[in-house]
Parts: sequence; C-alpha cells; structure tokens
Amino acid sequence: MSDASKLSRFEAVVLVHLDAAYNLARWLTRDAAGADDAVQDACLRAFRFFDNLHGPSPKAWFMTIVRNASLDWLKVQRASRAEESYDEDLHTAGAAESVEAAAARDSDAHWVRVGIAALPREYREVLVLRELEELSYKEISAIVDVPIGTVMSRLSRGRDLLQQRLLQSRERKRS
Amino acid sequence: MNCTRLQQVLDAHIDGELDRATTGEITAHLTECASCAALREQRSALRQALRAHAPYFKAPAALAPTIQRSLDRAMAESAAKLQSSATGRNAGLSWLHATALASVAALAGLIAGYWLAQPLPDYPLRDPAVASHVAALAPTRQLIQVASSDRHTVKPWFQGKIDFAPPVKDLAGDGYVLIGGRLDQVADKPAAAVVYQVRKHVINLFVWRATDKAPNSPAADPTANSNTDVTAAIATASVRGFSVTTWAAGGLRFAAVSDVDGRDLTRFAQLVSAP
Repeated sequence: MSDASKLSRFEAVVLVHLDAAYNLARWLTRDAAGADDAVQDACLRAFRFFDNLHGPSPKAWFMTIVRNASLDWLKVQRASRAEESYDEDLHTAGAAESVEAAAARDSDAHWVRVGIAALPREYREVLVLRELEELSYKEISAIVDVPIGTVMSRLSRGRDLLQQRLLQSRERKRS
Repeated sequence: MNCTRLQQVLDAHIDGELDRATTGEITAHLTECASCAALREQRSALRQALRAHAPYFKAPAALAPTIQRSLDRAMAESAAKLQSSATGRNAGLSWLHATALASVAALAGLIAGYWLAQPLPDYPLRDPAVASHVAALAPTRQLIQVASSDRHTVKPWFQGKIDFAPPVKDLAGDGYVLIGGRLDQVADKPAAAVVYQVRKHVINLFVWRATDKAPNSPAADPTANSNTDVTAAIATASVRGFSVTTWAAGGLRFAAVSDVDGRDLTRFAQLVSAP
C-alpha cells in the first residue's frame, strides 16, 4: 500500500472516529490536555499498526488504542505526582460556564457530569462507551478486554453508583 | 424469572442485549411485579438523565491539524526510509486532502497518456476543471484559504478578490458540508473554488465568469458579458476517474469535481443551483 493510499484509508476508516476517541480519552484522563496527548499518541500508534487492522469494527479497534494511550498517560501522570483525588472544580472549569452557572451547580446536569467523572475508572469507561458511544457489549468487551459478563456487571454497578448519587443530589435540592 | 435474576439482567435488557426468549420472560415479570417495574422506571430515568446531561467532549478544532502534522512527520520519516523518489512529496500531505489523493496517486501516471488518447469532451472546460481539482489537492498546494463551514464567512471572503459573487450554500443537512474556499483558476480564468466535503470526499466547486465568448470585455463590467449569459443544464461526466458536473447560469460557469460517485455530484449540483 502506498503511503498516500494508506493515509487516505486511515482517514476514512479511523480518523472519522476522532470525536469518539477524544470523548473517551477526555473521560478517562479527566483532563483536556491529557485527552489531546492521548488521542494524538493513539493516532500515531493506530497509523503505525493500521496494516494489521482486521476485524469487523475499526472503531472498536481504534478505541482500544485510545484507551491504552489514555491509561498510559495516566500512568505517566501518576509517576510524576502522587495520585490525587478528582478535583471537580479544577476539571470542570474548562467546560462552558454560563451566567446560570451557580444555579447549574445544583442541577441534574452538574451531578451527571460530576457523578460520571467521580466513578471508579472501570465503571466510568464502560458507561461512557455504552451511554455516549452506544457501543454494543461485545465491542465494549473487546475495547476494555474483559468478558461480556464483566461488561454487564460493571455497567450495572456503575449505574447503581450513579443512581445513588443522582438521588442524593435531588434529595439535597429538596431539603 | 424471579426478582433476583431480573435485577441481574435488567440493565442488559434495557440495553437491548438479551435474546428474544429472555426478553419475553423479563417483560412478563415486569408486568406482574410492581417493585421490579419501579426499578426499571428508575433505570430509564437514569438513562434519560445521562443522555440529556452527560457532556460529550468533541475533539477540539485544533486537534485534527495537530494530528495531521504528526502523521505528516511519520509519513515523511517512512518515506525517507524507503528512499523513494517521492520522498518529501508526502511531507505536506494533509489528511483532509488524503481521500482524493488516493485516486490522484493511482492516476498520476496515466493522466498524460490518457489525455492524449481522449478527444476533448463536449464541454470545453471539463478537463481544465479536473486539472485544477487535482492541482488543488497536491501536497504543496493549499486546498483552503478561508476555512469555515459558515457560508456567511466564506462568501464575503471572495469579495474584492474576484469580480463576481459565487453562490455559497449551507448544504450540511444534505451531507455536503461546506469547509471553505480559495482562489483558483480554470484554464487560466480566475475562479472561485468553494470547497465542500461529503463523507470525507472533497468536492471542489469551481465558479468562473462566462467570458469565453468575450475575452476582451472589461472584467469589471458584468453587462459586457450578457451574450454569454446562457443557461446550460447540469451534466455529469467521468474524466480520468473523477466525476465532473458542469452547468451554466446567470453569466457564471460551474464545474464541480470530486472522486465521489457521479450521482452524488449531480445531486450536489442540483442543490447548489436550486434557487
């Protein structure tokens, strides 16, 4: 395959999923710059191994690489500083804040965002892949590299945790 | 099916991941068990809240060009490794240009011979339009001088640069996404190139003034060209593997060139030329 036709196929088959890649990386790293780095790294890796791409879902293949790149980014971060707990103010500061920002802090939208971000990674990733990317259990199982049964139980557990949090926030609003 | 079992598979049921038999058992249980049905309602509400409020982080606009540059570098390195005569040619390759480049690369060697072998098609500027399209996608050229999906940005950009106003339309709803424009030439005539993308294929829409029958008329005087103000119907042809659709209206000549299917390009032309 010539370089030009490889790049052209890469663009059509892989880079069309750039938004999905960024979304996953962003939720995994919980950091805008981290997501940039991870996606860029993933694209290079994917391009290098593009010739080996076989199988029914290029998107799942690419997302696997994006996930690995994101986890690698997290590893590097952890190596450079002690692991810190998720700081919602720090990490949501970049998101669009409106004049209603103060009111929005108590809204469902706020709690959904913070709720997902605060989930342990193994629940967060399956939830993002299912609810935002609408991938099948089979694809998620391939990306996260766990059996389908595990995808199912992680999704359930993740939703349990999220539901508790959402209910708590609504109770708080009422009181 | 009992309640414990149902609660284990409820999420998979909502996700539509279960076989028909199990789905049937669940539906049956839900109709007769109020507490399980309430649980399902909670889950549905949660899903609704998630779909409505969970932010989807789209790739920032700056990311694609950054990736493009790293891929360029990777390609340049691999090209250098191959020591091919094409070294460096790929260095400026942009992934936006890439789709059409596949055909360019495959056809590059054939063009010269084919050009001589083929009689000129009936529309005189079909071949030059294809030539301009191919040239615009060359790695060293800039496909887009004004990058925007907003027609109110692209259209005014041509003002003062060219002596007519090319139609610029928002056709994203039909799958033809405006990505920008540039100044170009078709057979040495100044032309506006409005660039669209459909399923990652680049469409160059060339628009130029129909001065072919009045080459000496003052360029700034549109009335001088009234004799060329003919209307020609949309016609699509295949030239060296590219689809070319040409038409004429309102003193302007149009040629849309792309490597998409001819039917896609005809539809594009119909949308552009629609009043």
